[in-house]
Amino acid sequence: MNRAIISIIFISSFMSSAFAGGSSDMSEKLKDSIVYLQISYYAYEQYQPWRNKELTESSGVGCAVGANKVITTAYNVANAAFINAKKAGRNEYISAKIEIIDYESNLALIELDSNSLGKPLVPLVFSENYKKGAGVNFYWLSAGGQIYNGRGFLDRTSVDVSAISFSRMLTFIAAGTSDSTSFGHLYCLDNKPLGIACWSNENKESGIIPSKVINRFLADVKGGKYKGAGMTGFDASSLLEPATRKYLKMPDNIQNGVYISAVHTIGTGSDVLKVGDVLLAIDGFDIDPYGKFKHPQFDVISFDFLITNKTAGDKITFEIWRGGRAQKIDTLVKHFDVSQMLVPWYDNDRQPEYIIVGGCILQKLTKTYLAARGSDWQGKVEPHIYDYLLNHAFDPTEQRKQIVVLSYVLPANINLGYHNLGQLVVDSINGMKINSIKDVPQALSLNPESKFHVIEFEMEQPAIVLDRKQLDSAGISIAQNYGIDKIYNINLINN
Amino acid sequence: MKKAAIILLLLFSASVFSAQSDMSKSVVMIQGVRQPFDYTTPWKQTSVAQGIGSGFIIAGNKILTNAHNVSDSKYIIIKKENVAKKYPATVEFIGHDCDLALLKVIDKSFFDDTEPLTLGTLPEIHSKVSTYGFPMGGTHISVTEGIVSRIQTDIYVHSGADGHLVIQTDAAINPGNSGGPVILDGNVVGVAFQGMIQADNIGYMIPTTVINHFLLDVNDGRYDGFGSIGVSLFSGLHNDSYKDYLKLEPNVQGVVVTSVLLNSSAEKVLQRGDCITQIDNYDVDNDGMIMIYGKKYHLSEEVETKQIGQTINLTFWRNGKKQTEQLVVQLNRPVFEPAHLYDNHPPYVCFAGLTFVAASRNFLETWGRDWLDSIPHTLRYLLNDSQQLNKDRDLKEYVVLSEILPDQINQYADEYKNKPLQNINGAAVQSLNDVRKAFENKNCDFYILKFMNTEKPLLLDARQAHKQNDTILKKYNVSSWTFPEEQL
Repeated sequence: MNRAIISIIFISSFMSSAFAGGSSDMSEKLKDSIVYLQISYYAYEQYQPWRNKELTESSGVGCAVGANKVITTAYNVANAAFINAKKAGRNEYISAKIEIIDYESNLALIELDSNSLGKPLVPLVFSENYKKGAGVNFYWLSAGGQIYNGRGFLDRTSVDVSAISFSRMLTFIAAGTSDSTSFGHLYCLDNKPLGIACWSNENKESGIIPSKVINRFLADVKGGKYKGAGMTGFDASSLLEPATRKYLKMPDNIQNGVYISAVHTIGTGSDVLKVGDVLLAIDGFDIDPYGKFKHPQFDVISFDFLITNKTAGDKITFEIWRGGRAQKIDTLVKHFDVSQMLVPWYDNDRQPEYIIVGGCILQKLTKTYLAARGSDWQGKVEPHIYDYLLNHAFDPTEQRKQIVVLSYVLPANINLGYHNLGQLVVDSINGMKINSIKDVPQALSLNPESKFHVIEFEMEQPAIVLDRKQLDSAGISIAQNYGIDKIYNINLINN
Repeated sequence: MKKAAIILLLLFSASVFSAQSDMSKSVVMIQGVRQPFDYTTPWKQTSVAQGIGSGFIIAGNKILTNAHNVSDSKYIIIKKENVAKKYPATVEFIGHDCDLALLKVIDKSFFDDTEPLTLGTLPEIHSKVSTYGFPMGGTHISVTEGIVSRIQTDIYVHSGADGHLVIQTDAAINPGNSGGPVILDGNVVGVAFQGMIQADNIGYMIPTTVINHFLLDVNDGRYDGFGSIGVSLFSGLHNDSYKDYLKLEPNVQGVVVTSVLLNSSAEKVLQRGDCITQIDNYDVDNDGMIMIYGKKYHLSEEVETKQIGQTINLTFWRNGKKQTEQLVVQLNRPVFEPAHLYDNHPPYVCFAGLTFVAASRNFLETWGRDWLDSIPHTLRYLLNDSQQLNKDRDLKEYVVLSEILPDQINQYADEYKNKPLQNINGAAVQSLNDVRKAFENKNCDFYILKFMNTEKPLLLDARQAHKQNDTILKKYNVSSWTFPEEQL
């Protein structure tokens, strides 16, 4: 009993001295490696896509990865219009710009203006260390140019989606943090950089983007053209049921494997997997019936890690159970740009794509557009539109690359009778199927001899018929009347 | 959801004073005991509730009241003013779509010293009306006064999905006199039935147009309900280009058919793009309104005058040609019935602990107050859009896995809960009966259940499932594995 107490006292005094020593040493050391970021945001309105939202500001932490380069979370700089940096002990601002932003990894590489930077930054080396339960320190630079620190302990790992993307990435979770950290605060373990903070909650927990994710990102950046992290191209459901295993003719000695319940048209595995396959292993790691595997360092985590920890173009081997036998399939890890999705999961850093035709606002459907309905938007969005997001977002095809919706109608004489139409999915214009927003101008040029433009919608909704002769003059007067400076924004390159 | 703000019980409560003696011979108090079914596990009933409402005597020794006073009822008692005796009564006819019911009193002596009320016509706006009934705050008959504020078509919240004419008055609202008569010049002009919670002085009554339809309907001994023409209409002809596109002459007014309900009586007569310009002898305007009862109301008001099986004449334009056809008025309901159901023992199949029910509004309402926002997406999609989504003529209902009675045979089935069932062993599930038939077939190793929007099927070992079935039914006190017990 006595011995136990002594040892606890001993450990705790040792721990606190380690913290104290570590933090003071590191603060001084980090002076040239972390910067304060001041970010101004100027995002677009989703329901008046020709307009910007109110200008807002926030701050974050940048961690040096090069002489004039820092990383922070992608979330910190999403829709940023202007970024300033500040070094410890210096008053002047250094202008900065985003070089690469990766919403899947939730990381952004930011370049600081070398001319105003002065002494180059000292790059940090992110150590791929992980000790469950170990104390961790975190550091940030205040607006006043002072380095602050705090502490917590490494509680667990998880493979989860970031605030913006759908990609499941490795995340460390620190518990008992002495301060809320979510804006790129640098976390250190044993005085070595461990990762940067990406979220925090009321339970004093913080998510940390770990070195593994950061180092993959940095290696990818170094390779020239940024390829991006692997993305999963299928859905898996647990396979616990003995009856289903029996039906799939899986022998009793195979207890691992997760059921492939959907295979998308984009993403890793989309080219080789089929619905009904059982995913037994990836790159030699056995996948359990819940879709998890035992990682030598991080214990039991989701199989997604084995894909999202790789870079597009890397080799990957799936071992699957198909047609009553096991087989191995080699393929390449895939990454896709969010704009390739049928319903893009996010639409940041650019103006939403739209075109106003006779007061009818036709817009590319994105999750950002739907989420602009406010809290509980999932239950409010028209179910036919929501279905595209929920069940088909990852399934673009050559015939259907995007969903175009009639957002609403700006009332004017030309569209009298249609003022109440809105939130409808465009099927065709002038008889041409609308495959993406860029089809709209082309469809409007069809049938020049006809008196009308005819916009047809899905689900047997009423058609909109507009007078061609009136269209140009009506367009001008609607734009003037409603203060619209740009009646369309269509990204022809990305489409 | 705006309609949810309407409550069911209404009272004119400007000032309460002693009722005229003749009204006490016509207006009665109705005490009802109700016990609705549980739509998730339909072999059970929910808890018992009691309520008080009002009613009144009409010709033929009948009592007219609101359906919601006597829905899902187990026991009904009727009381006359100043008489201690309580008279048991039964429901003779009930129309949930129009919130009206006719009650029969078993003891004929009840009608001694009573006076039936007569029905009047649609009142004028601003006419002064009196409402009689037994609202909260006392046990004697009360009368309140108000004026007719407006007459319009609105949703009847008892069914939650049927719209008919309503008369709005400026009286305040209190529970208890639902079913009471609203009197103008000694005649009944309405039955008080619902009000707005969040507004002052907005109460509604059922007009005699609706009451007469109900009374005529039950003359043949059966209530059929209000019919429709089975089409969706669009009032887009305000736009000259749209008119031109549909090859209509510039002076034509009407509304455009955008969809025709599958299996409806309209299928043989109308198609998308038709422009309805006349219904019987009424001209239809670009808002879909007709001049009826001295005012502009939606053309559905003319359909409302018909009984099921009667016809209406429709004049419409198609491809630049005007034509007139007869259309039979039928119920014409979508495959996912949007109305709340009452007095209906919900059918079910409970096999191997898996409970299947027909998707209904009642089932969805078990999600609570904000059910429409919180139900699973697929169910919301079907409820909202079944008319467009369903192309299967033989689909009778969507079948949903509503509950799992835990047992080793179904311990991995949780992920399928609340999902609509598409097929079993490849055979389409078009009704609960198909589920029953599938499980009655024992000549298979597995039952493979495929659910909507779910690629991974639910598998049941057939032999094991049959072996466990009786044990599960016993353990969970389920009297029969199906209801109805006999195959339909």
